[in-house]
Amino acid sequence: MLGSRWWSVARMRLSSLLLRPRVERDLERELRFHLEQETAENRALGMNASEAREAARRSFGGVALVEDECRDMRRTEYVQDLWNDLRYAARMLKKSPRFAVVIVLTLALSIGANSAIFSVIDGVLLRPLPYGDAERLVRVFLSNNQYPKFPLNPNDFRDYRERNHSFERMAAFSRGDLQLSGNGTAVKLTGFRVTAGFFATLGLKPARGREFEWKDELPGNERQVILSDRAWRREFGGAEDIVGRKITLNSQPFTVAGVMPPGVEHPGNSYNPIPNGETVDVWWPFAFEGDVKQRGSHYIEGIARMKPGVSAAAAQSELNSIMAELARTYEGDRNWNVLVNPLYREIVGPVRTMLLLLLGAVGLVLLIACVNAANLLLARATSRRREMAVRAALGAGRGRLFRQMLAEGLVIAALGGGLGVLMAVGGVKVLVANLPAGFPRAAAIHLNETVFAFTLVITLATGLLFGLVPALQAARTDPQEGLREGGRGWSGSRRQVRLRGLLVVGEVGLACVLLIGAGLLLRSFTNLLRTDPGFRMQQVVTASITLPRETYRDKKAVIQFYERLLPVLRTSPEISAAGVGTDLPWTGYDDNVGGFTIEGKKPAPGDQFHARYHCASAGYFEAMGIPILKGRAFSERDKVGAPFALIINEAMERRYWPEGAIGRRITFGDPPKEEDWMTVVGVVGDVKDRPDRPAAEPALWWADTQMPWPFPDMKIVVRSRAEAAQLGNVLRQTVGEFDPTLAVSDVRRMDVIADESYSAARFTLLLVALFAALALTLSSIGIYGVIAYSVEQRQHEFGMRMAMGAARWQVLRMVLGQGTRLALVGVVMGVACALGLAQLLSTLLYGVTARDPMTFGAVALTALGIAVVACYPAARRATGADPMVVLRAE
Amino acid sequence: MSKPSDLIQGTLDLLILKTISIEPMHGWGIAKRIQQASNEVLQVTQGALYPALHRLEQQGWITSEWKEADSGREAKFYRLTRAGKAQLEREMAQWERLSGAVALVVSMA
Repeated sequence: MLGSRWWSVARMRLSSLLLRPRVERDLERELRFHLEQETAENRALGMNASEAREAARRSFGGVALVEDECRDMRRTEYVQDLWNDLRYAARMLKKSPRFAVVIVLTLALSIGANSAIFSVIDGVLLRPLPYGDAERLVRVFLSNNQYPKFPLNPNDFRDYRERNHSFERMAAFSRGDLQLSGNGTAVKLTGFRVTAGFFATLGLKPARGREFEWKDELPGNERQVILSDRAWRREFGGAEDIVGRKITLNSQPFTVAGVMPPGVEHPGNSYNPIPNGETVDVWWPFAFEGDVKQRGSHYIEGIARMKPGVSAAAAQSELNSIMAELARTYEGDRNWNVLVNPLYREIVGPVRTMLLLLLGAVGLVLLIACVNAANLLLARATSRRREMAVRAALGAGRGRLFRQMLAEGLVIAALGGGLGVLMAVGGVKVLVANLPAGFPRAAAIHLNETVFAFTLVITLATGLLFGLVPALQAARTDPQEGLREGGRGWSGSRRQVRLRGLLVVGEVGLACVLLIGAGLLLRSFTNLLRTDPGFRMQQVVTASITLPRETYRDKKAVIQFYERLLPVLRTSPEISAAGVGTDLPWTGYDDNVGGFTIEGKKPAPGDQFHARYHCASAGYFEAMGIPILKGRAFSERDKVGAPFALIINEAMERRYWPEGAIGRRITFGDPPKEEDWMTVVGVVGDVKDRPDRPAAEPALWWADTQMPWPFPDMKIVVRSRAEAAQLGNVLRQTVGEFDPTLAVSDVRRMDVIADESYSAARFTLLLVALFAALALTLSSIGIYGVIAYSVEQRQHEFGMRMAMGAARWQVLRMVLGQGTRLALVGVVMGVACALGLAQLLSTLLYGVTARDPMTFGAVALTALGIAVVACYPAARRATGADPMVVLRAE
Repeated sequence: MSKPSDLIQGTLDLLILKTISIEPMHGWGIAKRIQQASNEVLQVTQGALYPALHRLEQQGWITSEWKEADSGREAKFYRLTRAGKAQLEREMAQWERLSGAVALVVSMA
């Protein structure tokens, strides 16, 4: 019942608002009817027509008055007033277009920037991952002191899967690219070998066909594939009858078991990683083979769906107790812990800090824009003091004046927000196009309802925030004081000047925080660029090649292939040096080999010797421009049967043989036979895992001609002046002459690959620098506004001073001093805040501390300098005060 | 003649609600009915009646529609809503308590 009443009340209010003409007409009709009834009754009492009408009107009283009172009952005056306020505000803005443009543009820039950054945050951090019930998905790793995240052993995985009670499902996957041949040139398909129920674990289903089940894990059943939607369309033209078809992969017949729907995103992997997103072409079964007691090799990655109500911590402790049981049986399982991490954290963790930093920075910009707008509005409110006083004197209540100023704030904010959305549309495009390489979930970044809602909220919030200060001032208007002083040169605005000074101090302070952030990132970035990478980036082109196990069954076949290929490549006129190696610098390789013996040395207790391990051919170091510091590179001498040659990096020499490594020996044999010993023949310069790592890790290389086991995946590295595209053709042609089923993929310039390592740092730096520049501009406008206003107010005083003999420079100094004092307080506050906040940045910095005195000092000086420059035009105007004019105006 | 300001606050609302609880009526009819029913003691002026009607309508106690009156002309007829009936009960109860209390005080002297 209450509900129906409120409903009818709401309907009444709405129609009073929206159907105003009709409601008015009804009122008029209703009252006229009354008059006519009254007249008719009077006629019946015997009056003549005009007497009757006259009497009726008399008894009614003022029709207009009654109408007015009825109107008042509708209680819509607030809305009507708001509408009037908004219209009035728009008119006031039209009257001072320059003011309006400055304020609206600065707001639009900041709101647009906030919306754009928020759309990235929304897509990457806030949106659930594109899997069913994604919050229950976790990644499973092994972990110890040396390797915080290590892949699993396949046999361990099967034990976890059988014994655990925490997971609804558990699956594993391991990178396994395949080469598709049979229609023209061979194509490399990015692939993963997956255990049964991999997609069910992710909460996904094939669009056609089926996914793998337990039978498919048996050895011999692995020749089947599930295609991604993209690969199905690109390689097979989206053929309807694809399921069940035989296709040639790695020169073997494979059956297509299914096709996934579009939008299946790779959850990311850490071993031979490829970025998260729609990056995978094919999935094929992981077959468990070999001895189940073998627990030493780790190469599959675990993913699991927790049962509802189970936490990652609980699952982890259960798996750890399983691991402890296994360790009692298998020596290889000792000294490992299991690590269970939510998938969400695994995927977005690496960019979370950076994104939150950007959101913080852009939020500061908005805050500054707000303060700036409040400041400008306040300045204008002062010059409109007289108007306010008149309105107050005419009976406008405090609430009315307050609401009217607030309405002005809202109109400005709405204009800024509207324009800001347009800027965000462009901004998001630019952002997405320039995201750092391998940025997770880039495809999920869109302007959508959430972003628009966010924009609306911040627009309203900014409007209220910067409208509030002048609104409060307006509500305080005392008509008497305002009218008395309004005439000229009022001085009773100390409070106002102080308030505006405070706002400017705040602006400068916030801008300093941003500038310091930008400065630190800039120093860190130049440090990155200045660091010697340890290899040559220019005129080096690389490509990937994979020799399938099916056709290159043993290491002899693999060795032979490269032994024949490399000399042919070197005869090509475009190529001045060529080699192959398992790894490229700065591409995320972090695999160690441990447990070798160093002749004559013992590892520290509880530790073992370890090093990054690679395999490379003669010519690899030369082509990559990695200097041989001691000894020699690999050569034809290092053949099968000849003593094992080893090349190590400086870091390894420093760690294990500070006395000099050439001629020293290590072995992986246990117990070692004489032919197992490997002799260090050369020491090469250090290359760090990634440019922002503090130092290089110890690393060793085997000669490709002596590879201890087959390395099917190799990178070709050539030194050449030719274009990458042209070289790609040369490589494809040459490789194709040896084996037409081999695909040459990822043909890229080394400088492009290296550049990607900088892209995250560059992206953050550019954005923060952009925001800092915006903040600096805004606070300059703020300082200028305050000083210009105060000069205007004190024009009379300056004129007097000059008339009394003050020199121009003295007046100039006075004004600049006033601005500098404000800026100084702001800078001190900003520096203090930045000192407190700096630690948040530290993970993003390289080679510079978060409290770098040089950056802090430089920013403080810059901010002060810019403040002085911003004050200068106003100061010039002060010295331009003509004593005569001023005195005459008195 | 009793002006509405002489009526105890809220009494006019009660009179209106009670009057149209019998049948839907237009403003003129309501004024007439109150006048007749009170033996010409209570005269509601238009200046009080119409704002009160509009207020009651805005509050959702009564609702209105345009209908043909006895004279054959269109008039705005008011009637109680369901919420208005409940409101009338409440106002009646309150009136009885109040008038009873007043009577008590007056008869004491």
